[in-house]
Amino acid sequence: MNIAVLIKQVVDVELNIRVKNDALVEEGLTYVISNWDEIAIETAIQIIESVGEGTVTLISVGPDRVQDALRRGLAMGADEAVHILDTAIDGSDSYAYAKLFAKILEEQDYDIILGGKQAQDTDAGLTMSMLAEFMDLPQVMNVSKIVSLGKEQCTFHRRGELGNELIDITLPAVLTPNDSLFEPRMPSLRGMMQSKKKPIETKSLSDIGVDPDLVGKSGKKVKVNRLIQPDQRKGGQIFEGEEAETTKQVLALLAKNEVGKENLFT
Amino acid sequence: MEKILIVAELKKDEVNKSTLENLSYANSLGMETSAVLIGTGIKKQAEVLVEYGAKTVYVADDISLKFHGTFSYTRILQEAVSLSEPTQLWFTASEFSADLMPRIAARLGVGAISDITKLELKGNDIRAYHPAMSSKVIQECLFEKDEIRVLSMRGGIFDISEAKQTAPNIVKLSIPNTDLRAVIRDVVIETTEGVDLTEANIVVAVGRGVKDSEGVERVRPLVDMLQAGYGATRGACDAGLMPHGAQVGQTGKNVAPQIYIALGLSGAIQHVAGMTGSKLIIAVNNDPEAPIFNVADYGIVGDLFKVVPILTEEFKGANSTPISTIEI
Repeated sequence: MNIAVLIKQVVDVELNIRVKNDALVEEGLTYVISNWDEIAIETAIQIIESVGEGTVTLISVGPDRVQDALRRGLAMGADEAVHILDTAIDGSDSYAYAKLFAKILEEQDYDIILGGKQAQDTDAGLTMSMLAEFMDLPQVMNVSKIVSLGKEQCTFHRRGELGNELIDITLPAVLTPNDSLFEPRMPSLRGMMQSKKKPIETKSLSDIGVDPDLVGKSGKKVKVNRLIQPDQRKGGQIFEGEEAETTKQVLALLAKNEVGKENLFT
Repeated sequence: MEKILIVAELKKDEVNKSTLENLSYANSLGMETSAVLIGTGIKKQAEVLVEYGAKTVYVADDISLKFHGTFSYTRILQEAVSLSEPTQLWFTASEFSADLMPRIAARLGVGAISDITKLELKGNDIRAYHPAMSSKVIQECLFEKDEIRVLSMRGGIFDISEAKQTAPNIVKLSIPNTDLRAVIRDVVIETTEGVDLTEANIVVAVGRGVKDSEGVERVRPLVDMLQAGYGATRGACDAGLMPHGAQVGQTGKNVAPQIYIALGLSGAIQHVAGMTGSKLIIAVNNDPEAPIFNVADYGIVGDLFKVVPILTEEFKGANSTPISTIEI
């Protein structure tokens, strides 16, 4: 069974994020594999372990630093990686990325294509479904449990609007895991050593036969015009001490607060 | 003139609030609105959509549509778009539209903007605001090309308003054959009892600090007394303490109540992203370093099980009779 995992390296959103002149302040930022993509890598590795054979190939798009993300994925246990490096891809939106990945994956023969349900930097959640459509493949998003895995068909639980769905899907298929499907493993020391020997192939758009018009400035459908920093909530009054005391203090303040008074004390 | 096709979303077989919000907003701007309604035994809901101003309602009602099969639903939407020729296709941001919206956009060969919290519409010119980086930033998004625009709006950003009704025009859509590549065999419908989190004035949410099911029940009198929605963190849901429908956060529900009472939860950014729109946040946690205290208006460092009974005693809900003691 051959699995492709599409991963995105993103700014670490746990850090202090600042916006200046309508754009992100890059200074002081570090990069990580998008959280949901890490779960996708873990899912791929666990599926291969379960099935007993196969390969996990990571694919990522971006500048040189993306190699760090790919190395980490290899250290977790993926077998090989492909890095698409081309400035023409800059400024792509979900649609353009989906078109690009579809072109890349069409040439290959993957049984399962995994990815994160949304990227931690954009929170758009569009790419994987668009990809599934461009490739005319069935999709199961938000997979909450792997029920059975077969060469041609798999069964999953997924969390849908109505509840827990039991779904049979034929392969090849596109999947995104739920937050809780698996906890991504920390790469072991051995994993890190081994990752150095695993191949990362770097390719440009012309290497993969993709017209630059498909992506970037020409290919994208949606533009992010600017970033806005919403008013940050600040911590208010915090009380420490005997609960009987502190609770009474907070209650007194709530009774005087407009919103508190109206909702909690009428 | 803008023609908006609104994809109706159902809750317990009834058109949900967010759908009516979208419909109302489009009408209030003087746009021509139609709706598409898909499901099983739901065609009467077309009347509701007409009541709120939909000029035409495209209906696909069939037993095969009981579950939200992506292939079938996308195919039906494609037909509705082809018949209606809208300039915009609107969804509400939800688990239902999470698959469907990007899939139909891709099928139509157009872009989409998801989870919009603010919309500026001047004819064909759209500025859509989308929270990113766990709501730490807002992206102002524009469509680049002059083609159908596909959008999903978060619930609660528009008001529901009366509309001028026209004579009902119902169009029946074709029912596609079930695509055997993806078959939903069953759905275990999770019954979420109690007040709807997205509609409640007050939400009480618990994290793993509530410890166990017994702890969850010890908080319930407060929830009932306030007639609040009872929410939870992902951690508490994963631990089986609360149903998954109670999850508040980026991958759960987005809520913006008047009051959010956070009990025994640390305040991870993915959780905070789902409740940062609350008017007033009260937090109780044993750990003074818990990040929740960075966003709470009032915080108590202490044992939630000592605090909750005092709150329950002193707060008076709008209806002073706690729900749990009403005789049926």
